[in-house]
Amino acid sequence: MSAVAANGLVKHFSPDIRAVDGIDLDIPEGQVFGFLGQNGSGKTTTVRMLTTLLRPTAGTARVGGIDVLADPDRVRKLVGVALQEVGLDDLQTGREQLSLQSRLFGISSGETRRRVDHLLEIVSLTDAADRPVKGYSGGMKRRLDLACALVHEPRIIFLDEPTTGLDPVTRDQVWRYVEELNRDGVTFFLTTQYLEEADRLCHDIAIMDRGKIVAKGSPAELKSSIGTDAITVLFASDDDAQRADSRIRQLPGIDSTALAGREVVAYLRNGASAVAGIVLALNDAGLTVSELRLAQATLDDVFLRATGHHLEVDKRVEVAAVAGGAA
Amino acid sequence: MTRFITTTWLLMARALREARRQPANDLGNAFIPLFFYAVTVGAVGGVAREAFGVDDYKGFQLPVALLQGAAGIAGGAGLALTQDIQSGYFEKLMLTSTPRFAIVLGRMLADAVKAFGLSILIIAMALAVGSGFETGPVGMLVLLVGTAAFALAYSGIGVAIALKTGSPQAAQAGFLIFFPLLFLAPTFAPIEVFATWLEVIARANPVTYLIEGQRSLITAGWEPAALAKGAAAIAGIAALTFTLTGLALRGRSR
Repeated sequence: MSAVAANGLVKHFSPDIRAVDGIDLDIPEGQVFGFLGQNGSGKTTTVRMLTTLLRPTAGTARVGGIDVLADPDRVRKLVGVALQEVGLDDLQTGREQLSLQSRLFGISSGETRRRVDHLLEIVSLTDAADRPVKGYSGGMKRRLDLACALVHEPRIIFLDEPTTGLDPVTRDQVWRYVEELNRDGVTFFLTTQYLEEADRLCHDIAIMDRGKIVAKGSPAELKSSIGTDAITVLFASDDDAQRADSRIRQLPGIDSTALAGREVVAYLRNGASAVAGIVLALNDAGLTVSELRLAQATLDDVFLRATGHHLEVDKRVEVAAVAGGAA
Repeated sequence: MTRFITTTWLLMARALREARRQPANDLGNAFIPLFFYAVTVGAVGGVAREAFGVDDYKGFQLPVALLQGAAGIAGGAGLALTQDIQSGYFEKLMLTSTPRFAIVLGRMLADAVKAFGLSILIIAMALAVGSGFETGPVGMLVLLVGTAAFALAYSGIGVAIALKTGSPQAAQAGFLIFFPLLFLAPTFAPIEVFATWLEVIARANPVTYLIEGQRSLITAGWEPAALAKGAAAIAGIAALTFTLTGLALRGRSR
């Protein structure tokens, strides 16, 4: 049985705003499934529909075999959810928060005490358990939020950008929790903007762009689909890059190319042997190369190929914007 | 049904726990009615018998203080709910298997409990300064329960606005609706001395029946007709605010 299945799932907030525009999903039990996309690509809206927070405009979705529209209450009992924004009550202590969450799922007070103690230990919050949440750091809040999603021992867990804004140490802790729980058979539906996260954790990935799934498969499949190597060539202008793209595409051994501003990326099987040919061809065409890099294809290359833009570049821009805002 | 009661109880306890941790929020709710009570009794009490035939003006004013206090407290649920909505905690609650109405009813009941507590304080102060109480301890209990029931019913306004808008300012504005209604009722003088136009408005105002029902317990004795009208006024307010809350909750749940 599929842990999550969707057919033609659509969410339109208005005729002009098509947040999710007809997606199909079939995620087997026990898988870590990654939903990769930029802000505004429709990832969070999909999670909100699958977790009963948002009613789809059209299409069907089943979680744990249960129709999300027909029986949302049963779906809520099956799933654990940690949304992008940690939803915590600053006035309660960590222990109170977890206990209330557990009791609201109908778990007895004795069992709640046992689970809360255990979870606080797992997320390393035992020492801070009886302090109000408003004094917690961002990482502590994220870990408590994750614990809240686990307290009723769900078999399917939705994590919406669980590590955005976390320091590397806390991020690594979250990844380890995911891996440990997945080993116990828990299915994860994970949205992320981090390629490293998707590459490390996910069995299968869907790349989402403007409300549609534009590529789907395991990280290895997706990378091999565009060629094993990527040669990135940077030019002085967009025009030069466009001309170079047409030229490179005609060269033998090139599987495909992607154009992003002043940059052309060529995907191929044996990059090292093709570098000289590319440089000569560009030289013959009167194009001056500013920079050339040869590397193995990454998920960012897959993302670029599928969407026409980088994910990692946008992440750097976001980080710079945050730093600028903070300054 | 058991599940509904249990989750409502848990969420009411959470709201009361929060209130205990923010006592300053409720200090204003205690100060305002006591201040107006003292000022009004001080200003009008001396002439009340000659002006409109009220012997016990301290008792006459007591329901006004109680309803002012209850209305102030009843604004708390809506405001707290907007904080839950803005922090994302409301969605966390919506992701549990809690019955939807229990999520808001818990907060509203917490307001009723707080109004009950504040009313004990206000009645004690009024008795300390010489107010009479015709129906004795049983009447006091009826008065306390009635005031708490009003707080529960009235808190639905702020909760409905909070659910609909998510805005703290809008939720607080809901609390202000009560004040025009309070001053269009026999707040400072009996309805019999009102100008005709004001009497017509006051007779159509549910707050009039609330005040008169409560006042009868303090200054007149057991008057079933006045109490029944007061109870009907609370039931009418509750029917309206609970319906609005239910509709707003459905809208937010989508």
